[in-house]
Amino acid sequence: MDFKTILGRAKRGLREELRLYLVAVSSLAVAFLCVAGVLLAVTNLSAVAERWGRSGRMSVYLRDGAQPDDVTRLRVVLEGMREVESVEQLTSEDARRQFLEHSDVEADLAALPPEVFPASLEVSLAEGTSVQRVASISERIGSLRAVDDVETYRGWFDRLDGLLSAGRGIAGVLALLVALCVLAVIGNTIRLAVARRREEIEVMKLCGATDGFVRGPFVMEGTFQGFASALVAVLVLLLGFALLRGHLDASLAALSGTHVAFLQPWMLVALVLGGAAIGALGSALSLRRYLTV
Amino acid sequence: MARDPDSKVVRPFAFFRAGVQSDPSAARRPILVFEDVYKYFRRDQPTLRGVNLTIERGEFAFVTGPSGAGKSTLLQLVYRKHTVDTGRILFCGKDVARLKPKSIPYLRRNLGIVFQDFKVVRHWTVYENVAVALEILAMPKRLVRSRVAEALERVGLAGRGSERTENLSGGEQQRVAVARAIVTEPALILADEPTGNLDPHLAIDILTLFEEINATGTTVLFATHDHSLIAKRDHRIIGIDEGRVVEARTGLRSWPGAEERAASDPASGLHAVAG
Ligand SMILES: Nc1ncnc2c1ncn2[C@@H]1O[C@H](COP(=O)(O)OP(=O)(O)OP(=O)(O)O)[C@@H](O)[C@H]1O
Ligand SMILES: [Mg+2]
Repeated sequence: MDFKTILGRAKRGLREELRLYLVAVSSLAVAFLCVAGVLLAVTNLSAVAERWGRSGRMSVYLRDGAQPDDVTRLRVVLEGMREVESVEQLTSEDARRQFLEHSDVEADLAALPPEVFPASLEVSLAEGTSVQRVASISERIGSLRAVDDVETYRGWFDRLDGLLSAGRGIAGVLALLVALCVLAVIGNTIRLAVARRREEIEVMKLCGATDGFVRGPFVMEGTFQGFASALVAVLVLLLGFALLRGHLDASLAALSGTHVAFLQPWMLVALVLGGAAIGALGSALSLRRYLTV
Repeated sequence: MARDPDSKVVRPFAFFRAGVQSDPSAARRPILVFEDVYKYFRRDQPTLRGVNLTIERGEFAFVTGPSGAGKSTLLQLVYRKHTVDTGRILFCGKDVARLKPKSIPYLRRNLGIVFQDFKVVRHWTVYENVAVALEILAMPKRLVRSRVAEALERVGLAGRGSERTENLSGGEQQRVAVARAIVTEPALILADEPTGNLDPHLAIDILTLFEEINATGTTVLFATHDHSLIAKRDHRIIGIDEGRVVEARTGLRSWPGAEERAASDPASGLHAVAG
């Protein structure tokens, strides 16, 4: 079979059905944009989650009026642990100052007395300390006399993790829906194209064209539509990202200490190739139903 | 382009690859044989009932009969639009009915088919309409160009390749269809009422065109119910009525009074001879 001839026919088909295909591609680009957008959100969310998970941190809040001796002993215990990298003591006054620095709060909050902010030992843990280990350390330390409470930030992390798996779920469902929608739209477009080109299909078959020769151009046209839609979606997302990046970056950095990231290159490639593959599948399925060769 | 009828024209895709070309008797064998062919579209009423027919290489034959007699069906069985229910159709000695669906395109590459409604692609140029038959064969572009030009010249459309086909007159469009049918140099041309949509003057032109093609060695089966056309020529006539071949003799014109009868009642001429 002659690939060049088939490609030539596909190009011609694209030219002749340009309006039809433009409509299909633009609506499919919107669908792909939704998937790409959710993927982008998930990517950034998981970057935050990973950072939080990695930066093992623990705040050991000291009881009001804890004896300096007890606090020193506590420090020694903590520093003796393998997982502990550093321990920093934060007085009530330090805590108040840090809080005021990090948040744009109103003046009346600034008037709060230092006692509201408990003194603490800020413990940073070695990377990769397991969740169970953090929990057992927290339990052991929590029973000591000078300790009021231990915050492992586990709750926050759990919540973010939940959000992340919800995001992944949504992305998965959305991707499936979009795939079906693309299949349907491209299938329909190809069906229309087949109907419009009945005449030439009949002529080609009477002249002895094989199945592949008749179907080939339509499959290529479907593939191209899927490819073009996904590509347009990626480009639009990239443009939006470039425009909003500065804005997003500032808020995300303040919130979590990470920078916004775009989709990984392999994700972009997968999206565009996936679009092409679904386009090919959609046209092939449509041809099976509407083109009896 | 003029060839001896017996010369071995190299076919781009011989569906009968094995045998025929190497068999010295092939050239003398009939090109098309119907053996007791039955075709049923309805269970109780066969459209063709027991058709026996032999078409020799290089023949020009009219297929005629009243409307609904089964002329189109007869031709459609040859190019496998339909398949016989019983019996055999041998094209170059090969049973067409037993071809697998995948082989049907290769059968059709050895046939040239022309229809009453032209079946040209109206928004294509004349050139494209003819070239498509060669592109299907994956023929190199240069060769396509020269062979299309040659075919257009043979049908009297030299130099009109770049025109949009829908701008041509009916007679010219049918010439485009004929050019497409002959450009691959098929062994057999099936023409199903090719003059049905044309006025009598143009009909003669197209008939003459087919005769010129026949003169170069191509076998032509020409279905028509236009007896005034048949009466003007001395070709073999295959009459079909109610699914049977009722008459197969040469030269309606050679029978005394045939022309008058044909003019007054198209069918009577045939039955008079058959009876
Ligand atoms: N695909 C089909 N399905 C059902 N019946 C068919 C089909 N094709 C033909 N027939 C029937 O077979 C009979 C012969 O049809 P055919 O087209 O061969 O006649 P014809 O001799 O070509 O007539 P005309 O001169 O009008 O073209 C008709 O009764 C027709 O209804
Ligand atoms: Mg007919």
